Amino acid sequence: MNERIEYWVKIPIGPIHPALEEPEKFIITLDGERIINVDVKLGYNLRGLEWIAMRRNWIQVLYLAERICGICSFSHNHTYARAVEEMAGIEVPERAEYIRVIVGELERIHSHLLNLGVVAHSIGYDTVLHLSWLAREKVMDILEDIGGNRVNYAGNMIGGVRRDITEKHKRAILDMIYYYRQEIMPKIEEIFLYDPTVEARLRDSGVIPKRIAIEYSAQGPTARGSGIKKDVRYNEKLGVYPDLGVKPVTPKEFTGVIKGDVFDRMVVRVGELWQSMEIIERALDQMPEGKIKAFPKDNMILFKLKKAEGEGIGRYEAPRGETIHYVRAEPGRDGPAKWKMREPTFPNLFAVARALVGEQLADVPVAIASIDPCLSCTDRVAVIDAETGRKRILTEVDLLKESIKKTKEINPNIKAKPEKIGIGRCIL
Amino acid sequence: MTPEEFAERIKAKFEDVEVKITENKLPHPRKRIWIEVSREKFKDVVKFLKEIDPTAQFSIIIAEDRGDRLTAKYHWEMFWEQGESLSVVIGTACSKDDPVLPTITDIFPSSLPYEREVQEFLGIKYEGIPDPRRLFLPDDFPEGVYPLRLDETGITPEMVKNAGHPYRRESK
Repeated sequence: MNERIEYWVKIPIGPIHPALEEPEKFIITLDGERIINVDVKLGYNLRGLEWIAMRRNWIQVLYLAERICGICSFSHNHTYARAVEEMAGIEVPERAEYIRVIVGELERIHSHLLNLGVVAHSIGYDTVLHLSWLAREKVMDILEDIGGNRVNYAGNMIGGVRRDITEKHKRAILDMIYYYRQEIMPKIEEIFLYDPTVEARLRDSGVIPKRIAIEYSAQGPTARGSGIKKDVRYNEKLGVYPDLGVKPVTPKEFTGVIKGDVFDRMVVRVGELWQSMEIIERALDQMPEGKIKAFPKDNMILFKLKKAEGEGIGRYEAPRGETIHYVRAEPGRDGPAKWKMREPTFPNLFAVARALVGEQLADVPVAIASIDPCLSCTDRVAVIDAETGRKRILTEVDLLKESIKKTKEINPNIKAKPEKIGIGRCIL
Repeated sequence: MTPEEFAERIKAKFEDVEVKITENKLPHPRKRIWIEVSREKFKDVVKFLKEIDPTAQFSIIIAEDRGDRLTAKYHWEMFWEQGESLSVVIGTACSKDDPVLPTITDIFPSSLPYEREVQEFLGIKYEGIPDPRRLFLPDDFPEGVYPLRLDETGITPEMVKNAGHPYRRESK
């Protein structure tokens, strides 16, 4: 989420309810069944984090950043820490760098699993959603063991990490990887790489041509699905990632062809699941002994940063793409004079909105779900008939009905019913 | 293209531009290029950026109220195809009396949402922006109030409720 000032004003709750899904609005103009324009309206989840951060100290902002999102809490917390470390010239112990990699890749695994399930749900494959929720429990159990919480692990500190990875954790992680390779990944590949109905349904849906992906700065799997070999872990030479063999995953390695459609974006996520497991194994193997923090006590950090001056940028490849944070310090202040962050959904929404022009209405849910927005499902889509100018409101269930109908045209045996998932991505 | 080569090309082309390279001593050293340019030259520098690398990826606009002026810094990732990319920040500024900056949406279409965001939160007007509508703030948010301004046009205390536990109300 791109967080902004919170201003209390009486806005009718109306059809958008804070407890249901995540709110954003797409206004779609149709000509028959063809989409001729998509407009995006944001701001329903505005919480004023930047403004609040100006009234917090450096360490408190760390916890604030983590609560930007429940799925990629580590990513924001980590990127903010990187920005501060760059600004102040703080060096992170090498063991802490490896721990950051391990936790980051565990987060990527559970985020991608969830998105694979959500996309399957949006075309009527509800059992796949159940499988992905079952599978990610294993990762979240491990994250809870390491950090004490399954969602907001609070693992990073400026100058290092707060929790070490012990031999017990190491064994649990390797067991999890073994289980995933033997049990979960074959099922996922069978569905997303080899199922003819899924392929027929996802192919040529929500195509984002490489040209548009570059022009609109698509990020993460959305960009790599269009053939752009870009990944911050690789391009930024971030931390110890260059020692772990990370490289951008594109669909070419799996299917030999790149179309930039929903299918390709899912293939990228499957490939990244495999890569993340490899990275974790190598990191556990190469991790040196030593300190995990540059500063033994937190007040030493605040003392050092009180005198700091300058600017820093942190960049990281979150599960959805490039996350970038900026901080500026003024001497004498307890906290940042300026904190700015941007998550990958922001550019991806506009890239997919641009790419949806010319598509069918039935492809809207799966195209939006495939960019893995941190605004998970479409809460409301306004459809304007180009000929009559009349406007009608479609709910998520209406859109799912269209989407599932299209899947049934391909395979009549599909029995899914259009139901909302019912749990917001950030309410965990 | 290395950061030094890029910096040389910018300096050769534009005389009155400040270019600075910072280095981050991570396990693997990482450099970043910071450029400061005047409002009048800003668009020309951005066009040149696009000429040098047509696949440059625009990332973010960081706009700020610096008391006497409003600053805006833009970040690009360039030459990502070569593996190690260039991280480039171009900063410019305008006074509060005349808070106008040129739009770059004709050069980088992906900058439009960020410019809309800066317009509503900092009150910087983008000259030539194709779609100036609000992006985040509610439709009934008062005109003339810019939430991230630090002066009287910013958020007033009456507008704030439940802003969290009162840790250090004044951070100075």
